[in-house]
Amino acid sequence: MESITPQIIFYVFGIPINSTIISTWIGMLLIIILAAITSRYFPHALDMLGEFLSSMVSGIMTADNVDEYLPLLGSLAIFVAVANSIGIIPILSAPTSDINTPIALALVVFFGVYFYGIRKKGIINYFKELASPIFLLPFEIIGQVSRTVSLSLRLFGNILSGEMISAIVFGLLPLIAPLPFIGLGLFLGILQAYVFTALASLYIDLAIATEN
Amino acid sequence: MSDMNPEYLITFTTILVSGIGIILGTAIVAIVEGRAVIKALDGITRQPESANDIRTTLLISMALLESSSIYVLLVILILIFANPMITQFFN
Repeated sequence: MESITPQIIFYVFGIPINSTIISTWIGMLLIIILAAITSRYFPHALDMLGEFLSSMVSGIMTADNVDEYLPLLGSLAIFVAVANSIGIIPILSAPTSDINTPIALALVVFFGVYFYGIRKKGIINYFKELASPIFLLPFEIIGQVSRTVSLSLRLFGNILSGEMISAIVFGLLPLIAPLPFIGLGLFLGILQAYVFTALASLYIDLAIATEN
Repeated sequence: MSDMNPEYLITFTTILVSGIGIILGTAIVAIVEGRAVIKALDGITRQPESANDIRTTLLISMALLESSSIYVLLVILILIFANPMITQFFN
């Protein structure tokens, strides 16, 4: 049990603070510091990152202008990539290897889909299109819930399995043997960040698509 | 097997099911993903100019396929580390 749930480090006013929250804070701090340094000294690098994220999202969405959706999707991509990769720092464990973080991110996507869909089409039109043949409404609801669950479980399972495999190999042969698995875990983390962002933009694209 | 201690029996069954399950759950998904990659490579060699679209679609569909394997992994992790039978009967 203790291996797949985070351990509680200390309490703040009775609220348990576990290891995941601390590594999330460190990841956020890292992102903020890196963003401050890059925007002051290397602004072109930040431009390139924004350009890369924009082209990635616009390759998936059919909307003409993706600037509207880029703040949410780009921050999701950056946060998930940093959160997946921060597990290689020896003391920390990746925040996404705890089920609570991926579920929170997937809930952000779940409500973001409704937000963008309602903003694009209006609340009545959006729900009317959602239930256009009325007997398809239950399947639509099941699909909305199950894709949120699968979005979070995919991220969680990938990162957790990467960490566990490198931990097992570390237990067997601690010197050099875990290195390839750690590298594989890093690669899979970046790939999962891409997949998470791609699926989030796909869902938002499905919500804002007009019927023609 | 009937004269076994029930806790041993549950542990034994869990380990057996976990081993068989992870083999089936990864092997089948790996075969299916390999077929997807074969088709995508066929498409890329036939039409190299549409490589970017094919790659995006391939990655997304492989992530969707991969999730069934991840479900197997999660069920097995729950069975091994947080087995509901053991916590229910032997505490």
